[in-house]
Amino acid sequence: MARRRFRDTLTGYALLAPSLFGVAMFLLLPMLVVGWLSLQRWDLLGPIRFVGLDNWHAVLTDPTFGRSMAVTFGFIALVVPVQTVLGLVAAMLLARGLPGTGFFRTLYVLPWICSPLAIAVLWRWILSPTDGAVSTVLGHRIEWLTDPALALPLVSAVTVWTNVGYVTLFFLAGILAIPSDVDDAARIDGATAWQRFRRITLPMLRPTLFFVLVTGIASAAQVFDTVYALTGGGPDGRTDLIAHRIYAEAFGSAAVGRAAVMALVLFVLLIGVTLVQHIYFRRRVSYDLT
Amino acid sequence: MTSRNALIYTMLVVAAMITLGPFGLGLLTSFTSARQFNTESPLSLPNPPTLANYTALGDAGFGRAALVTALMTAVILLGQLAFSVTAAYAFARLEFPGRDTVFWVYLATLMVPATVTVVPLYLMMAEAGLRNTFWALVLPFMFGSPYAIFLLREYFRSIPADLIRAARIDGAGTLDVIVHVVLPASRSILVTLGLITVVSQWNSFMWPLVITSGSSWRVLTVATAGLQSQFDAQWTVVLAATTVAIVPLILLFSVLGRHIVRSIVVTGMK
Amino acid sequence: MKHSTRFVTALAATMVVLLVSAVLMGRTQDTGKTVVTVRLWDAQVAAAYRSSFAEFTRRHPDIEVRVDVVAYASYFDSLRTDVAGGGADDIFWLSNAYLAGYADTGRLLDIGKLLGDGASDAWDASANQQFTRNGTLWAVPQLTDGGIAVYYNADLLAAAGIDPADLDTLRWSPDADDTLGPLLARLTLDRHGKHAGAPGFDAGQVRQWGYNAANAMQDIYLNYIGSAGGQFSDGDRFAFDNPGARKAFAYLVRLINTDHVSPSAADTNGNGDFSRNQFLQGRMALFQSGTYNLAAIADQAHFRWGVAMLPSGPDGRVSVTNGIAAAANSATRHPDAVRAVLQWMGSTDGNTFLGTKGAAVPAVLGAQPVYFDYWQQRGIDVRPFFKVLDGPRLPAPGGAGFPAGFLAIRPFFDEMFLGRVPVASTLAAAQRAANAAADR
Repeated sequence: MARRRFRDTLTGYALLAPSLFGVAMFLLLPMLVVGWLSLQRWDLLGPIRFVGLDNWHAVLTDPTFGRSMAVTFGFIALVVPVQTVLGLVAAMLLARGLPGTGFFRTLYVLPWICSPLAIAVLWRWILSPTDGAVSTVLGHRIEWLTDPALALPLVSAVTVWTNVGYVTLFFLAGILAIPSDVDDAARIDGATAWQRFRRITLPMLRPTLFFVLVTGIASAAQVFDTVYALTGGGPDGRTDLIAHRIYAEAFGSAAVGRAAVMALVLFVLLIGVTLVQHIYFRRRVSYDLT
Repeated sequence: MTSRNALIYTMLVVAAMITLGPFGLGLLTSFTSARQFNTESPLSLPNPPTLANYTALGDAGFGRAALVTALMTAVILLGQLAFSVTAAYAFARLEFPGRDTVFWVYLATLMVPATVTVVPLYLMMAEAGLRNTFWALVLPFMFGSPYAIFLLREYFRSIPADLIRAARIDGAGTLDVIVHVVLPASRSILVTLGLITVVSQWNSFMWPLVITSGSSWRVLTVATAGLQSQFDAQWTVVLAATTVAIVPLILLFSVLGRHIVRSIVVTGMK
Repeated sequence: MKHSTRFVTALAATMVVLLVSAVLMGRTQDTGKTVVTVRLWDAQVAAAYRSSFAEFTRRHPDIEVRVDVVAYASYFDSLRTDVAGGGADDIFWLSNAYLAGYADTGRLLDIGKLLGDGASDAWDASANQQFTRNGTLWAVPQLTDGGIAVYYNADLLAAAGIDPADLDTLRWSPDADDTLGPLLARLTLDRHGKHAGAPGFDAGQVRQWGYNAANAMQDIYLNYIGSAGGQFSDGDRFAFDNPGARKAFAYLVRLINTDHVSPSAADTNGNGDFSRNQFLQGRMALFQSGTYNLAAIADQAHFRWGVAMLPSGPDGRVSVTNGIAAAANSATRHPDAVRAVLQWMGSTDGNTFLGTKGAAVPAVLGAQPVYFDYWQQRGIDVRPFFKVLDGPRLPAPGGAGFPAGFLAIRPFFDEMFLGRVPVASTLAAAQRAANAAADR
C-alpha cells in the first residue's frame, strides 16, 4: 500500500512537472519580479538601479497616471453596461427559437473571434475623416478619433461592437436554462411580458448577469490592442487606457520601474473584482423549484 | 409570420448587417487599386478588382509572418493540451500529498492578468538572452494552462472509474490509461479547449509586440500594426493586411462555428 | 496498434516537426562568410546601400552585408528594446536626437578608436559635430539632410497666376508684412473653386491645399522657430517656451485653423506622410520638406514641379539641419568585419552609392558631387536646399532624455495644432512636462 502511494506520488509529480514549471516560471515568478522591478529604475539600455519607493511616490502623484485610471474607469462604465444590455436584448430575441436563430447566434460572435488589433485597424479606416467609410456616407468629415469628446465613446463603441455577440451567448444559455414551467404558469396567471421578464427571467439570470459583468470588467480593464491601433492613447490622453499606459511607460518612455508600479496597481484592483466574483458564487442560492 | 416575428427578424437582420458591414467593406476595399481609391469615392466597388495590395503584403514580409504565427499557434496548442491533460489527470485521479494545495495555487494564478506579467516576463527573457526568438513566443504558454487544467480536471473526474480500473487490471500504466482511456473519452472537451487556444494565440498581440522585433519572428498582428505605420494612409494595402489577419479565423469559424460557440459557453460558465 | 496510440504518436511527431522547423527558420543561412547586418529606416536609401555593399563584398569576399529596413515610426522604439536585449544589428542608423541614450550607456563603439583619429576629416563637419558627445565621435556620418526648402507644384501655381520665382522672396510674419499667408490663400481652393478667405469659402470641402503647415518638427516648426529668433532646446534641456517660438507656433496654428490653407491637424498629427501624399496626388501646391523626399517626389509626381527657398521670418531665414550616421553596436560578434564595413561606409567609394540615384546627400565630402550631378542631369535645381545653409542653422535637437521628453510633448503639441488650446500656456506646460520626463 505504501508502495502504491509512493508510486502515485512520483507519477503525480512527474505528470505535474511541466505545468508546474510553467506556472512557477511564467506566472508566479513574474509576480515577484514585477514587485522587485517597481523599486528599480531602468530605461532598458542602462543598468538597473535601486530607487526604493521613489517610483511609487512618483506614479501615485503623477496626473498622467491618475488620468489613465480615470479614463479606464470611464471606459468600463461605458462598455460594460451597454454590451450587457445589448447582449441581453439580443439573447431575448434569439431565445424565441425562430428559424435561423442558430445562424444569427453564430454570426454575432464573429467580431469577438477576430484579432482585436486587426479589428481596430479596420475601424480606424472606417472612421478616418479623410478616406473613411463613415465620412464618405455622411458626406462631410467628422474627426471622430481626434475629438476629445468623441474619442473615448468611439473606442468604447468599437469594443461593444466586438463583444456583444459573445455576451449574447451566455445570456442565451442562461435563458434557455430557465425551466419553462415557471414562465408558463405565470403566463396562465395573466402576467404581462414585462412582468414575466422582471420577476422571473431577470432574477433567474442573476448568476449569468453577474458572470457577464465581472468578466466584462476584467477584460475591459485590460484592453490594449484597440487603443494601440485606433488612437495611440487618444487626443490628450483621453483614451489612454491603463494597459496602454503601462506599455507606453515601459517601452515608449523607457521607464520600466514606473510601468511595474502601474501594473501592480492594476493587479490589486483586478484581484478585488475577481474576489468579489468568487465570494458571490460561493454564496449563490440555487433556484431548483421542483 | 406574425408582425412581432417580422419585427424580431428585422432587428436580427439589422444587427447582422452591423456585424458584417465593416468586414465586407474592408474586404472590398482590399481589392481596390490605390489609384481608384484616391480618385473616386472610397466606397466605390473595385473596378477593376486588383491583387496589387496583396502582392505588396508579400513584399512586406507577410508570408513569413503568417508562417511564424501558424507555427507558434501549433506549438503552443500541442504543448498546452498535452501538459494540461497530464496535469489534470494527476489532479483528478491520483492521490498524492500536496495535491490539493498545488491545485489551489494553480487556481490562484487564474487571477493574474496578462497585462501585469508582460513587463517582468520581458525582463526575464532579456536576461535569458531569449529576446526576439521563437522560444520567447511559445515558452510562456506551452507548458499547460491553469484554465484548461481546471476544466479538464472536472471532466476527468466524471470518467467512470470502472473504465480506468479495467485498464489497470489489464496491466496498463498511467500513460497507457491517459492515452487509451482518458483521451478518447474527452474528445469534445479537447476540441473545445483547442479551439479556444487557437483563437487566442492567433490573435495575440501585446506579448509578441514586446518580445520580438524586426522581421524574423514577427507575427501577423504585429505585422499588421507595423504596416499601418509603414503604409500610412495607403488604406488599400492596410485593409489587405487586416483581411489576411482575419480571414483564417473566419474560415475556421465558418467550418467549426457551432463548436466554437459551444466552447465559449461551456468554458465560460465554469 | 490502437487508434489512440497512433493518434498520440502522430501528435508527438508533429510537435517534433514543428520544433525542428522553428529551429531551421531561425538559422541564418550559413554561407561560410561573416555576416554583418545593417539596420536603417529608409527603403530608398536601402536600395542604394545594397548596391554599395555588393561592391564591398566584391572587394572583401569573406564578408557579406545584409540590410534590414525597419519603418521609421517604430524604428527607435524597437531599436532600444533590441539593443537592450543584445540582439540588434551590428551597424544601425542613428539620428542626432537619439544618440545620447546609446552613447552614454556604452552601447556603441568609439569611432576614433575603431577607424583612427584622422578618419573624421573626410566627413561633413557639422555631421561630425552632431554625433560627437563628450569629445568622442560615436558614429560614421552617412547622410546630411541639407536644409529645408519648398517643393512646389508648377501646374497649380500657373493656374493661380503665380510665378515660381516669387516664392523665393516670401516672408511670414505675425504682422502686416506677411506675404506667405495671402499667397497661400490664393493657392487654397474649395470644392467650388473659391479660394481661402473669399466669402463663401467652405473649409470643410477643400480640394486643394496651399501648404503643409503641421506638427512636424524638422520639416516645419523648427525652421519657423529659428526664423523668429527663438530656440527649441538648450543643451540637454527643452527650452521652447520663448517669444520667438511662441510667434512661430501661433503663426502655424493660424494657418491651419483660421486661414485653413493647410490640412487639419486631425489628419497630420502623427501621420507623417499625409501631406506628402496630398502633394504627390496634386492636391497641395507647396510642400515644405527636406532632401529626403526628393527622390520620392521625382519618381512619383505626375505634374511639373520645382524647388524654392524656405520662406524667411521676422528674424531671417533659418533652416534646421540634421544628419544620419551609422553607429556600431558594441555587442557585435564581428568587430573586425564591422570595422571593415564601417570604413567602407565612411569612404568616398562606399558613400558615393548613396548619392548616385540622388537618394540622399552623402556625408562623406568626396562623395557629395555625385549627388548634385545626378539632379543636375535630371534638370532639377537642388540649390535651395543648400543655399539656405549659408545662413544661420538650427541643429536638430537631441541629448539625454530627448526621446522621453519628445514623447511627453506630443499630446500638448497635438492639441495646440488642433487649435484647441492657447499657444503660450501650452508651450509652457509642455516644456515643463518634457523636462520632467527627460529627467526620469
